[in-house]
Amino acid sequence: MDEQGKKTHLYRFHAQNGKIVPFAGFQMPVSYKGIIPEHMAVRTGVGLFDVTHMGRVVVTGTNAEAFLNYVTTNDVARLVPLTAHYSVMCNEEGGIKDDFVLSRQKEDRFFMVYNAANRLKNFQWLTKQAANYSVNITDVSDDVAMFAVQGPKAEETLQKVVTKDLSEIARFKCSWTKLSGFDAFMSRTGYTGEDGFEVFIHNTPISNPRNAIVAWNTILEAGKEFNIEPCGLGARDTLRLEAGMCLYGNDIDENVTPLEARISFVVKLKKEDFIGKEALIKQKTHGVEKKRVGLKVLESGIPRFKHEVFKDRMKIGYITSGTFSPLLKRGIAMAYIQSKYAVIDEIVHVKIRSKQIKAQLIKFPFYDPGQYGHTRKK
Amino acid sequence: MSIGTVKDLVKVDDYEVAEGLFYHKEHLWVRKDDGKVRIGMTDFALKKLREIVWVELPSAGDDITQNQSFGTLESVKATQDLVAPISGTIGKVNDKLTSKPRLLNEDPYGEGWIIVVEPTTKIDVELKEIMNFEAAVKWHKELTEGG
Repeated sequence: MDEQGKKTHLYRFHAQNGKIVPFAGFQMPVSYKGIIPEHMAVRTGVGLFDVTHMGRVVVTGTNAEAFLNYVTTNDVARLVPLTAHYSVMCNEEGGIKDDFVLSRQKEDRFFMVYNAANRLKNFQWLTKQAANYSVNITDVSDDVAMFAVQGPKAEETLQKVVTKDLSEIARFKCSWTKLSGFDAFMSRTGYTGEDGFEVFIHNTPISNPRNAIVAWNTILEAGKEFNIEPCGLGARDTLRLEAGMCLYGNDIDENVTPLEARISFVVKLKKEDFIGKEALIKQKTHGVEKKRVGLKVLESGIPRFKHEVFKDRMKIGYITSGTFSPLLKRGIAMAYIQSKYAVIDEIVHVKIRSKQIKAQLIKFPFYDPGQYGHTRKK
Repeated sequence: MSIGTVKDLVKVDDYEVAEGLFYHKEHLWVRKDDGKVRIGMTDFALKKLREIVWVELPSAGDDITQNQSFGTLESVKATQDLVAPISGTIGKVNDKLTSKPRLLNEDPYGEGWIIVVEPTTKIDVELKEIMNFEAAVKWHKELTEGG
């Protein structure tokens, strides 16, 4: 491994066309044309992301469903083959070990895509918890190329290069297909709030990047008529924040529960025993003390990680991520604040340096879901 | 443009350094200009910050003091303090930056200038405390080799 970090199949493209930064042990593109134009391409047309740095494992075996139901909070029994769901793994205290998308490729074969930074931690955790189950857990991260094709023109773009009829794949459904001749697995999922797909080209090690490069170039070519842009980690972050999606390490971590993060839709307390269940039931009964909220800044200024949030001069919380929203053209942020203040439309103040800046609590996403995102009216 | 002339731009790695200017370690440059002093931000700092989306600047008439913050730039990625490379009284503020902050990224040594200052009598002493062009080139080499 290069001392600056691992390279993905597309490293040469990234280095020639974009700016490279170290990220979770990889040398990844932060942007090409610019964060704002890349962001807008995804909101109005289509963008292509290389997200090969993500951690990926395959879990197989007759016990796979029971095992995953024990280590994750969502209900894996409800996942029929070729569907996916968002979920988390918790520790015994209910703290989030990681968040991820789990797809069921076959009855006894699951595919889990989690955060690059947690790759080793997760693999060790899964392996440890699997001791009493007859399952195989294989880290395939280094053998799978992963791209995200996102935006209102994602389907039309991808349809030109895959064999599968994409109109048959609903959101959070998956399929096997041929992509420029290669076997690929795809799910109608993403981290931008927009419609789109995540595409996996299996059996493509980084040491033999050809198939991945061909697939990447084919998608870029297909998207030309929709002004496709290659997009870096910068736009990935502004897009997910506008959509109200959590970033592990900022908005969620082992000290936060899914109930506090307000992603309780991934916690199925009625299912059989799972790690963290007891703590989460207890918390649900007592109520959470802090909650994740969205803040839209009403003046100039951009809240950043660790800035403090005030109500009537009293500190009530802190910012976990903040950025400039290219769509709203103002500062937006996620914060954890005391639950009693978590009321939509309420005004709070964010301390940005010495100034107190007015911000309003909003319902996620930050944009109008009738106009942007996968729920937009066509 | 009446911005004065940038004689030459030297490239260190990906980053331009302009000849004839003085450089403060907080990445602001200084150009003497008919007894006045023009101040802007280095190409290096602006490329690291990426797209500037917001500027917060003082007004004409305000005083600035060497090594003290007089404003901020906000990019998509981060907030950057503007630390005064010299002391003086602000004569002109580049108002165009408010509506078009990208000028900073597009032309850091030209149209992306930030303020023009009437320096104090200490100007010559202050300029000795910051880097001249040659020192700045060397400094840029250290910055780029470091990471």
